Amino acid sequence: MLENLLDSVAQNSAFRHIHPGTKLILCLGSLVICLVSSSPYVPLISGVVLSIVLIVPARVSPVLYGELLLGPAIFTVISVIILLFITGGGEVVWRFNPAPWLNLAITEGAIREGTLVLCRVFGCSVSLFFITLTTPVTDLFNGMKRARIPFEIIDLMMIIYRYVFIVYDQAVEIWRAQVMRLGYSRLAEAVRTFSTMCGILFISSWNAGEDLIRAMDCRCYNGVFPSLGRSEPMRMSSLVPVLVYLAFLSSILLVTRGGLVMPP
Amino acid sequence: MKVILEARDIRYRYPRGPEIIRGISFHIRRGEKIALVGPNGAGKSTLLQMFNGMIRPDSGTVLFDNQPVRYDNASLRQLRQRVGYVLQNADRQIIAPTVWQDVAFGPANLGYEGEPLEKIVAGALRHVGLEGFDRRPPHQLSGGEKKRVAIAGVLAMNPDVLVFDEPTSDLDPAGSQDIMELLDELNQEGKTIIVSTHDVELAYPWADRAILLLKGEILQEDKPEVTFGDPGIVRMAHLSVPALLELSMELGKRGYPLPERKPRSVLDLIHIIESRARESESRTESGLITVFNIDRCNIAELPAWLRNHPGTAVGAMGTHAKRLAAHEGIVLEFTYGVIDKCILRSLRGKNSLIMTSSSMADRVVTRVEAYCHESGNQIKVVQAEIA
Repeated sequence: MLENLLDSVAQNSAFRHIHPGTKLILCLGSLVICLVSSSPYVPLISGVVLSIVLIVPARVSPVLYGELLLGPAIFTVISVIILLFITGGGEVVWRFNPAPWLNLAITEGAIREGTLVLCRVFGCSVSLFFITLTTPVTDLFNGMKRARIPFEIIDLMMIIYRYVFIVYDQAVEIWRAQVMRLGYSRLAEAVRTFSTMCGILFISSWNAGEDLIRAMDCRCYNGVFPSLGRSEPMRMSSLVPVLVYLAFLSSILLVTRGGLVMPP
Repeated sequence: MKVILEARDIRYRYPRGPEIIRGISFHIRRGEKIALVGPNGAGKSTLLQMFNGMIRPDSGTVLFDNQPVRYDNASLRQLRQRVGYVLQNADRQIIAPTVWQDVAFGPANLGYEGEPLEKIVAGALRHVGLEGFDRRPPHQLSGGEKKRVAIAGVLAMNPDVLVFDEPTSDLDPAGSQDIMELLDELNQEGKTIIVSTHDVELAYPWADRAILLLKGEILQEDKPEVTFGDPGIVRMAHLSVPALLELSMELGKRGYPLPERKPRSVLDLIHIIESRARESESRTESGLITVFNIDRCNIAELPAWLRNHPGTAVGAMGTHAKRLAAHEGIVLEFTYGVIDKCILRSLRGKNSLIMTSSSMADRVVTRVEAYCHESGNQIKVVQAEIA
């Protein structure tokens, strides 16, 4: 399953031991810069640089990384194609008149807009993938605890995170058992089968919840959910490059703020 | 030995269900290894849950350390700290999103924090052979590893009694043997172990005493060779006679002289067979068993020692010894039932070496001595002097 895969990539990442705060600064910083930039160069550069960082020093498999990018890529390309036809402005570059009542045209403005959206989605996705592929969720829990988020919320999040995988596995098992007996062959059948699966999952989650209380009781639960306190301190050796990189990105942002500079 | 757990005529009925425990009385002594055996639905799990107060019997008394169990919150907390319970499904027992947090859960709730807590967790993880797994999330572990995490979580509370519900039910055979050996190791350290199972092959050589349960009543309670030795009773309980026992019965029918104690291991069986063959054959001199104490000897010297002593087979007892062997690249010939396998080898005139920790080293000597005493064979055990 994808979530499991992402989590194990993060567990094995070479950046695993860098303080999550440093990684969050990099991720959120580049995300914001990509979003505010009115030129496609900034998100493009950010996306390419972070991708190289992810593949080379962080040792994320390029094949896996490519597969992950494919998801947003398909969605974005479709959106951009539609955008090309529905936005206007500037000279018409290409026109297509298949019928008298249908006039399709691509203008310079539309190309500009499309390029910007494409690069922005690329830059922002890579920023988010950076944190996903280098920081396991459990490290984020620790960060939240240090950020003074109420422990009730964090404890609940930890239990939910633990059980998501168990319930998901169960759902996959039930779904397979249903497919094996041709459960989703017709529409009406599919609706009925799916609702059965939901019912079974609800009951088994309820049972798992009761078992959870029992398991906690067995171990003298008294309101304490320990957290793995030990984590690497925020080191200058990783924080400084991140800040330098963000400053570099911001300076490009300032230089290109006039909008799209079309290549000659 | 002092009695640690006792049941006096306990009965229990699930709400709107049939009576599942129907008047059971027994006692368990400190340091015993007990196997609770019975078919599905015999009431094993229900009975186990009474040991740490998860289920309160409708009538009768459960006593822990000669005191009747009380069911107020403070007493239950105290009881649950001393009686650790490992559920059948490790996924249901592991609560936290990382191994470290899960093992720390019990001691943290008992009031430990900071360095003492870290020490306890590190100790428990080392005990079950999961060092370095601290930050791993449970869903990335194998079945055997999850079981070990669940055991470590209970061990971290330092209980006197460990209760296991079907400890090997979803493990592969090697994983099962590993877990049974871990239970042996814990027992050697003085913990009382109670295991419920329907795997007679596993319970038979392992347990000090076997309690056979059927339809909420005790059918038979005795040493395993007696409990499983009556085919009638075993059949009644929907179980099977252990292969070793069946084989020895057949040998008896064919005129082999059977010793008083029924065989509990392959070694015992070989003894029966060889004792008849020996009368006609000339004896080979038995091989030497060397005990390599990993706490005292220098492991780095072992490969050189082994090169100087060709033909020596190496076995490792205990998780720590096995890990050390893997780390040093020492090829292990035996990983479970090690002492018996070394004795068997010794009887063929071959030498062997057992890697183990201080806590288990004495056990090698006692086991070999007991065997020699019973069989009349002479096998020498020496402590390795590899500094």
